[in-house]
Amino acid sequence: MFAVGIDIGSTASKAAVITEDGVIASKAIVPIGTGTVGPARVFAEALDRAGIARSDVKWITATGYGRFSFEGINDQKSELSCHAKGISHLLPQVRTIIDIGGQDIKVMRINEKGTLVNFVMNDKCAAGTGRFLDTMAKVLDVSVMDLSGLSQRAEEPAEISSTCTVFAESEVISKLAGNVKLENIVAGIHKSVAKRVASLVQRCGIEQQVAMSGGVALNKGLVHSLEEEIHSRIYVHEDCQLAGALGAALYAWDHLQPA
Amino acid sequence: MSETTPMKKPKRPLPKSRVMTNELMDSVYAAAFDAEAKGEPVGWSTSIFPQELCETFGVPILYPENNAAGVAARHDSPRFIAQSEGELGYSNDICSYARLSIGMAHMIATDPNYERPALAMPRPTFLLCATNSCFELLKWYECLSRELNIPIFLQDCLYNYYEEEPASHKVKYARSQLEHNIKRMEEFFGKKFDWDKFLEIQKISNENSRLYDEIVLMNDRDPAPMNGFDLFNYMAPMVVARGKKETTAILLQLKKEIEENIAKGVSTFGSTPQDYRVDWEGIACWPNLGYNLKTMKKYGINCVTNGYVGAWSLKYTPGNLDEMGSQYMQSSTNVNSTLTTMGRRADCASHFQCDGMLCHVNRSCKFMTYHMFVGREIVEEKAKIPVASFDGDQADPTIFNEAQFETRVQSLVDIMKQNKEAKR
Repeated sequence: MFAVGIDIGSTASKAAVITEDGVIASKAIVPIGTGTVGPARVFAEALDRAGIARSDVKWITATGYGRFSFEGINDQKSELSCHAKGISHLLPQVRTIIDIGGQDIKVMRINEKGTLVNFVMNDKCAAGTGRFLDTMAKVLDVSVMDLSGLSQRAEEPAEISSTCTVFAESEVISKLAGNVKLENIVAGIHKSVAKRVASLVQRCGIEQQVAMSGGVALNKGLVHSLEEEIHSRIYVHEDCQLAGALGAALYAWDHLQPA
Repeated sequence: MSETTPMKKPKRPLPKSRVMTNELMDSVYAAAFDAEAKGEPVGWSTSIFPQELCETFGVPILYPENNAAGVAARHDSPRFIAQSEGELGYSNDICSYARLSIGMAHMIATDPNYERPALAMPRPTFLLCATNSCFELLKWYECLSRELNIPIFLQDCLYNYYEEEPASHKVKYARSQLEHNIKRMEEFFGKKFDWDKFLEIQKISNENSRLYDEIVLMNDRDPAPMNGFDLFNYMAPMVVARGKKETTAILLQLKKEIEENIAKGVSTFGSTPQDYRVDWEGIACWPNLGYNLKTMKKYGINCVTNGYVGAWSLKYTPGNLDEMGSQYMQSSTNVNSTLTTMGRRADCASHFQCDGMLCHVNRSCKFMTYHMFVGREIVEEKAKIPVASFDGDQADPTIFNEAQFETRVQSLVDIMKQNKEAKR
């Protein structure tokens, strides 16, 4: 008897499988999200890695923007509650979570049980989101995975004043044309994202400890910029990208427990 | 019909009060078109101008804000907005009601064969502008005046920063403007002002305000006898016909229907359990009202109250011009400080036993956006309830996003649910 959580985001699909005893049996990530084959693939991969068949799964909880569209789920939960539960499981001391998703920035305050107490999200503008970073990486002709290392080698972050994805793109192009070092441009991009996210963090209020969840948390350069802006250490778990899926799996597992 | 085709769920018949509301709205619009056809004066007015004056003169008035809401709810706003932003060159950052009505005014003025919306308005011969509901109204009406080459009657309302009620010098200013406007109208309409009729209109207006407040308060019961979104419909007669006896008849009928609902233990919210009582803060997201309501129902949320719909309840002693002027100087929320406005909202949320507040951050209204972001903390602290906000607009459908709305609503529900569980 297994419980599965699947997090179908706008840019990636993630899944986690939990055994009857509450042990994480497998995890999987596919870098394509809702509206693609990503969700089906990540589900199959997670089952495969756990060495189980579909019939062994007793409850599936979906989360993320594609949560309503995946067939065969038993229920769905908001990604905020799932990130809260997932991070609380990974880092029990955390009370403030920052998640930079594909199109959303979420700042959440949670309690000791890992349940949501308060939250603030970005407005409709995609400034500072994961999609913003994807676009900037494309303009710079580097992989989004390389942004972290590049920014850590920067001497002086370039000034990127616009937070609008389209305007920032033209600003970055003009920096490239002005022979500004690539590393400094990337650090400037991180600083601009960090400033935007920091204002949301301040609006929600910080309670220690602070953690980041989601795939963007793997970008150490950005995490460092954000730490500077919010004047606080940010904890990042190696499974940060799976926090939403893990939270969903834990909710699924709760359903299998005797009342 | 094929046997396998599922039958469409029959629409519930409208309650009598809604039928009466629709009939009244039709008659108000018909009277305005009739006056236009006869070459008589017709006015366009901001929503909280002292309607008692033109009601006394017997001159028909329509309300661009109310009209814009109706046009947007029927998904017909984009072409008027495009007219404003395109040919007329207005910024997309100004109020969408203004963009919509200026675009419509231009079409009315320049193209006699323009495609009329379901809620068409005749060409006005004058404008009424009170600055109480928004200070941008001045520029909007100035643009309308220029576009149509017609005069404005202005009731300038001052901001009440240091006090909850207007100070005496403001009351004097309000009264002097009422008197001045009556004089100017006498000249413009070519009629004497009938002070006896004015007193009657004031009495009717006050009775309607009293009844309306009573009705709004009836939803403090749990479960609420009304779907809170109904108030967005019933505020129409308060905006458009607050000085008419027909509005009194509608409100009495509505009150009777609510009392019957209470006696039977039913609600216009339907059979969906009212798991959560929420205070909807701000104007309706008119282009997406149906989706908003559907999503709320999906999560068992009844928006039992909101501060916006009460803006047309103005109560004063009939015959007392000072009190009347004072009332117009303090309604609505945009002539009061955030501490006053949001403090009242917090009290209201507590009175209605709300589990949470959902704020519509209306892109068109920068003023309310100021209130909401600071007010969020006031409400959280004073009423001890969670607050969530979402982006939308009163008439521009390009601002709202369904998925973002639902994520925020669902997360608010998660917090309200655990708060309720913790109380058990």
